[in-house]
This record gives sequence, C-alpha cells and structure tokens, in this order.
Amino acid sequence: MRPATATAAVRKYRWQFSGMVAHVIQRVTGLLLLVYLFLHVHTIRQLSEGPVAFDQALSVFKNPLFRLLEITLLGTVILHALNGIRLTLIDLGVGHARQRQIFWAWSIGLGVLVFLAGAIPLFLASVLRV
Amino acid sequence: MPAYRNVLWWYVQRITGALLVVLLTLHFWVEHFMSKTLMRGDLTYAVILSRISNPVWQAIDIGFLLVALVHGLNGLRNIVLDYSRVGPRVAQAITVALVAVGLVWSWWGIEAFSKL
Amino acid sequence: MKPYQVKIARSAGNGAPTEVGTFEVVLEERMTVLDALFNIQRTQDDSLSFRCACRVGMCGTCAMYINSVPRLACKTQVSRLNSSTVTIGPLPNLPVIKDLVVSLEPFFEQWKKIKPALHSPTRDSKELACIPATSRYARETPQKRDCITCGICYGACGIKSSSAEYLGPAAINKAFLRLMDPRDTATEERLEVINNERAGVWRCHAQFNCTAACPKNIDLTDTIMRLKRAMLFPSGLKKA
Repeated sequence: MRPATATAAVRKYRWQFSGMVAHVIQRVTGLLLLVYLFLHVHTIRQLSEGPVAFDQALSVFKNPLFRLLEITLLGTVILHALNGIRLTLIDLGVGHARQRQIFWAWSIGLGVLVFLAGAIPLFLASVLRV
Repeated sequence: MPAYRNVLWWYVQRITGALLVVLLTLHFWVEHFMSKTLMRGDLTYAVILSRISNPVWQAIDIGFLLVALVHGLNGLRNIVLDYSRVGPRVAQAITVALVAVGLVWSWWGIEAFSKL
Repeated sequence: MKPYQVKIARSAGNGAPTEVGTFEVVLEERMTVLDALFNIQRTQDDSLSFRCACRVGMCGTCAMYINSVPRLACKTQVSRLNSSTVTIGPLPNLPVIKDLVVSLEPFFEQWKKIKPALHSPTRDSKELACIPATSRYARETPQKRDCITCGICYGACGIKSSSAEYLGPAAINKAFLRLMDPRDTATEERLEVINNERAGVWRCHAQFNCTAACPKNIDLTDTIMRLKRAMLFPSGLKKA
C-alpha cells in the first residue's frame, strides 16, 4: 500500500525520516550525476573539433548561470559521495547504533561544510569574478 | 551454491564507489583548484590539451570513465528494476540494454581522445 | 486523568473507503493505547474492531499504526506520545480486514518461503546437540531470537510499501538464524530464496525503519547486512 500522495508519503516516513531521505537522496543524486556524465563526455568530445570551435563551445560555460549549475553539481556529488561512504560503512556493519545521527552529521552536516568550502571560492572566483 | 553474481555486483558497486571518491577528488582538484586561472573557470583548449596529450592522463581519464559507467549504470539498473513490475525475461532485456548503453558510452568517451 | 482525542481509521475492509472516527476519552497516567481502545469499544462504539491477546508485549498481536509509527498498542503509553491527539490506523503494507484488523497472510507467506522450521536429520536422536557458548552461533544469534512475528518491521519497511515480492526483515532474520544453526541442513534451499535478486536480501537499502520500529529491539538491518556479506562465502555461515 504505497502512499497515494506526496503528503501521505511524508507523513508515513516522518518518524524515521533519515531512512527515506537518505535513500531518495542517493538515488536522485545518482541519476543527476549520470545525466551530467553524459553532458560532460559530450563536451570533452568537442576537443577533436580543434581549438577555435572548442573554446567557443566552452565560452557558454563562462556564463554565471552555468557556473551556478556547476556549483550545484558540486553539491550533488558531495551528497552522493558522503552518503555513499556512510552506506558502505553500514554494509560493513559499522555505525548501526547511531546511523541516524551519522546521516545528519556526516552526510548532511559535513556535506554542507565541504560544499561551502568549495562553492564559496568557486562562486567568488567565477561568478563574482573576485 | 547460489548464483554469485548478486553478491559480486553488490561488492562492485561499493568498490567502484570508493574508487570514484578518490578519482573524483583528484579530477576536481586538477580541473578547478590547481590554479587561480582554473578557479575562475578559464579553461581553454590549450590548457586542457597540455594535460590530456599525456597518455598517463588519458589512461586515468578513461579508467575514470569506465569505473563511473559501471557504478552509474549498475545503479540505474537497480533503480529501474526496483520500481518496475516485470518478469525475469524483461529484466534480463533491461540489463542487456544497459550493458549496450555502457559499451557505446565507453567507446564514445575513449574515441574523444583518439582524434586529438 | 487526562482527556485525549482518539482518531481511528474505520473501514469495512477489502479496499472499502476509510473514514476517521473521532472519540474523546479520559485516561489515567500509565494507560496504553490498548487501554484506550478497550475504553472506546466498551463505552462508545462496540463495532470497533482490533486485535490483541497477551497485552504485555509478548505475542505481537496488537501491532498497529499509532501516530504514524508502527507499534504495539499494549506497549505504547498514551502519555508518552506527547500529544493530546492519538491517531490510530491499521498496520501498513497489509490488507485490511476491518478497522484496525489486518491480514498477516502476506507476512506469513514470505515467512514460509524461507522454511522457518529447523531441518535436522538428527532431530529424533536421543543425543543432545551441543552448541558451545563460544561458538559463532551462540555469540552472534541470541539478540536476533526474540522475534514475535508481530509484522511491525513488515509494516515499517520502505521497500515493502512498493514491493510485494520482497521477503521483508522478519523472514530474512529467521532465515539467518536457521542458516547459522549448525544443526540445520536446509542451507541450499534457504540460500536460494535469500539470494533472489527481486525478493531477497538485495532489495534492502539500509533505511533502518525495521530496526527503529522493532518492539524487541532486534537489529534487523544488521542481520540483512551480515547475510549480504556472507553470500560471497556462504559456507562461512556455519563455521564455528
């Protein structure tokens, strides 16, 4: 009996939110990263078009909007990687007793910190051009 | 003895995941944080080519791509099969299709270096 | 004595629409949800249907959905819910027979798939089977033996809510106990079931809902992960 609506689903798992949130985050970020990988390989293939064509293709990415997308990518990768590490540890039997705290402190907490450590300099350098 | 492919793919997903953490950190550092120019995002053909013409980097990048494809497409397979109500025949067809996608994608990536 | 508002999901079962019945009750300090249900059934609406038996947390019969968490009604003190409203529904992921009564058939179908009985060729032997306290079986299984087949883990599981085929934590836990048991010989059959890609251990994605909800505090996720790791060298399960 799958919850019929989104609100019903939220209510159903609210008591152990970390479980469902972690599961969904891992899958959604994974899919986003696959999409990104496709776009990335496509871009790198432009190298064979020669310097002029390639640099022109790349100039699109200098647009601040693309820089913001890149920063979003950073966040996506960090979430997927940190939570993936947590899951691997769980699979090895480590951290079961405090898995909920580990999710919020490691996957989310540390994730936000590492994200900001990378995103702020990138943002300053490439969007604000400081 | 039960089929080993399930447990092997379970381990593969974790091992490739761990490898990707290392490879990705390296990749991000090299591409974005090694110099101020890179941080501004002023990547140009010249900058990239100077690194990518080195066969060692090519090998690393291709290895990186293959590991990422194994991890990503295996993950995609799990997601698709978890949410679909199909029989074993269709499930196998989906697997074959994803393997094909992986092979084409790998070739697509490797070929990018052959024409440099 | 405190007043509480109790909202109960009522239905005629078999997919019939659910209505919420609201009742006002006054309860004493340590009364449980089960006490509240009896109070309502005796004094306000004798058509209310719910299951219970031992009322001391031993039988698992009164498993239901209380304030959005699958719990045993007899072990849930109303005052500990920290709310003046108690919302009760049938245990999720199972067909509703009437009101709060669900059919545990799907749960036991999965249970039977892993052959829950001990299959031992020497079961009629007069000799005692000696299992040393230092053996792996003695060390690693005691904390997993308390399952009362209440179905709470089945109702809590996020995978079960979208997969009819998945065995569910309780069945897998039982299989683990038998697979580790040095007296048991139905290893191959059980491994076959456990290893199934769509129904076995591989469907678990470590949400921990089962572990969090189990009224006997069995670390079910731990059981499932142990089995996953063991599938590489399954003969190691019975190693002393």
